[in-house]
Amino acid sequence: MSINAIAGARLAQPGNITQGLSKSAGGADGFAQSLGRLIEGVEETTGAANTAVTDMLNKNGDVHDAMIALHHAETTLQLTVQIRNKLVQAYQDIMRMPV
Amino acid sequence: MGTLSAAVKASGSALAAERTRIEVALSNIANASSTRTADGGPYRRRDVILTPDNVNSFDAALGKASATGVRVAGIVEDTEPFQQVLDKSHPDADPVTGLVQLPNVNTQDEMVDLLQAARAYQANLAAVTVIRDMVARALELGK
Repeated sequence: MSINAIAGARLAQPGNITQGLSKSAGGADGFAQSLGRLIEGVEETTGAANTAVTDMLNKNGDVHDAMIALHHAETTLQLTVQIRNKLVQAYQDIMRMPV
Repeated sequence: MGTLSAAVKASGSALAAERTRIEVALSNIANASSTRTADGGPYRRRDVILTPDNVNSFDAALGKASATGVRVAGIVEDTEPFQQVLDKSHPDADPVTGLVQLPNVNTQDEMVDLLQAARAYQANLAAVTVIRDMVARALELGK
């Protein structure tokens, strides 16, 4: 399943986040790349949902397969939105920090 | 997420398998009085054989396959003898004895199979709903 790609995103490691955002470490699997992969996952699952629905409309596919694919796409999108929300929140917290 | 999506996949395969069972039961009911087929003789009742899926997968070899789906191993014909009914006016009746061979389909049994498969389909839908709710709840952690 395409959602598996998210499992490898290694979002929980602070070291990766700093490396990724500062771009200081050459070729490191940083946060920006993780976010990119997450968006790729959204595109992939949306494409799969599209295919499943088209198959169903062409009378080749099952209703449950289409619904499961749609749900996968929705879940991946929600996960991405949550991570984006957390990222923006963290950024705003830092920007509000008095120096 | 990986485990959950594997679970949804397993339930999805079960939904497809139950749909096949429903289709076969329906065709048995539909052909309950078909006396003529392409092979000659009346329609033979068909049955679905199900088998666990992914038995040869990498995870299964390691003993780590948690969610195992199901797949249709085959659709076989029932070898029970045909029903015989005396009806001399029937076009497919034996010219000597007047006996007509009818399919070995018992409509009541097929209805039971049909309902069983429909309930199993519902059970798998409920399983998918459980997983969907779990994922939705987990996403609420971020709010």
